[in-house]
Amino acid sequence: MTASATSLAGPLARLVLGRLGQALATAALLATLCFAFVHALPGDLALRVAAARVGDERVTTQTADRIRRSEGLDRPLVFQYLHWMATLARGDLGRSLVTGQPVAGELARHGAFTLRLGLAGWLLSYAIALPLGIAAGLRPGRWLDRATTALAVTLASLPSFLVGLGLVSLFALTLRWLPPAGFGTTAHMVLPALTLALSLVALSIPVIRNAVVEVRSAFYMTYARVRGLSAAAALRHHGLRNAAIPVVTFAALQFAYVMDGFVVIETLFNYPGMGELLVTALIARDVPVIVGAGLTLGFAFALVSLAADLARVWLDPRRLREGRP
Amino acid sequence: MNGAPGPAGPRRWRPAACAAVLLGGLALLGPMLAPYPPDAQDLMRVMEPPSASHWLGTDLVGRDVLARVLAGAPHSLGLALVCVVLAAATGMTLGMVAANAGPTLRTAILRLADLMLACPGLLLALLFAGFLGGGIWPMLIGLKLSLWPHYARMAEAIATGALRENHVEAARLAAFPERTILVRHVLPPVLRGVMPLATLGAGQAIMSISALGFLGLGLKPPTPEWGAMINELMPFLAEGFVQVAAPCAMIVLSVLVLAVAGRSMGGSSDAREHG
Repeated sequence: MTASATSLAGPLARLVLGRLGQALATAALLATLCFAFVHALPGDLALRVAAARVGDERVTTQTADRIRRSEGLDRPLVFQYLHWMATLARGDLGRSLVTGQPVAGELARHGAFTLRLGLAGWLLSYAIALPLGIAAGLRPGRWLDRATTALAVTLASLPSFLVGLGLVSLFALTLRWLPPAGFGTTAHMVLPALTLALSLVALSIPVIRNAVVEVRSAFYMTYARVRGLSAAAALRHHGLRNAAIPVVTFAALQFAYVMDGFVVIETLFNYPGMGELLVTALIARDVPVIVGAGLTLGFAFALVSLAADLARVWLDPRRLREGRP
Repeated sequence: MNGAPGPAGPRRWRPAACAAVLLGGLALLGPMLAPYPPDAQDLMRVMEPPSASHWLGTDLVGRDVLARVLAGAPHSLGLALVCVVLAAATGMTLGMVAANAGPTLRTAILRLADLMLACPGLLLALLFAGFLGGGIWPMLIGLKLSLWPHYARMAEAIATGALRENHVEAARLAAFPERTILVRHVLPPVLRGVMPLATLGAGQAIMSISALGFLGLGLKPPTPEWGAMINELMPFLAEGFVQVAAPCAMIVLSVLVLAVAGRSMGGSSDAREHG
């Protein structure tokens, strides 16, 4: 036990460090892109900052010059770039150009909303996809399998804003059961979470189904049946854990799609999460908020990948011993 | 789906060829089929239900919805196809270069692809489109940037396998130039592997472009892009269901055609996840 633990510590550390390194590299890449964008925008950067600080009509060349000096905008681009990266590395995201609030606070507030929506949608999606996927995988080729596959293909062909629009027109406008947009009560969460869940279901049903089909025909399942276990017991004790491996891996990849979904779904439902913050900031050209939200989303994605790696190792420690993360 | 693809007979290509002709034709000819100019307003006939003169009704400033849906095809469909072709070409080139190059260049290309894959796709497109103020080019560049690594990874894996084949070694021993070997023995399997991915990717691109249009960050409203049209018409969902449903149906049908074609070529609908 101890021996295997110590022999696994090395590869595990390498896995964690590798993923963290990737997260940092992603953040650095996004920060560099944002820096390039800010400086590639047409017009005088100092004038724009000045306009954001004192209002469009009160900007003078003097204010712009003062800001140019105080913000170091007259220094070589390399210095500005290093300064930009160093500031971000200290966690200093600055203040919103529109509201004047610190960006970090805005991110935390909107991030909490996004987490709540994401968790609700994610749980709901597995509540739908797990029974359907397992049932389809246990009897491949039967009508239920064909029906769920058709459902998954159709859902995968629907952009999330269309799913949302459909749900709104059905449940909010026609049946009037639920509010069409906004936030606050649980009723407000239902439609956005369901929209998110349906986009996720489209991707996870085939993965769950294929994992179950593969496990079903595996030797250890036949062996378990030969040893006298009932079909249900064999599935419970041997099947599900093995079938979970590709599903867990996939759950993390899904988060890339959840993130796309967040941006669209939150905007559609006017839900004050991270995606809505990003879109509002993009439309208002609120650079510090855009940078903050972009970095947070990118970093969160990398952390989720790490969590998926760890979960996979926990489910199947052989992978680590054989050095394939 | 990820390894070397099996032999592809002509039958498996037929659905994809049909999809390409159908959607490509719509993208090219759509504007010519439009019964009215897509931006001809008629403020006396606002939000009219479908009729003999306006098959899909009129929108909020009295423009013919059928004309706008057809005229939008080059924007929504054409742009997606261009985007995927560009991304696949870039990815395949880099992937094949990586498979054929020394360890340093190979690692550099693969690491770069991993790094790009580590960013959520729409985020890059959003940042490009948002900072650079919408329009075709920022969106195209942003989407292309987020798509190419999938193709590069796949092309690299297939090309590395193909380069180890005996017939490639035979061709090397027969002193065929590297160029010929790449074009005749490596490109065909890479293409076979990338095609289903690209077909499904085109559907993804259609959804991304319409999502950006819907968010107001892609092509802007006077352009009859389907996502932008939905954004414009959404407040009138109760009065004009058909008018909103028309661009929606176009998006869903196009993506569905591509999904069916992609699956029939041996790509699974989740092929893009493991890129």
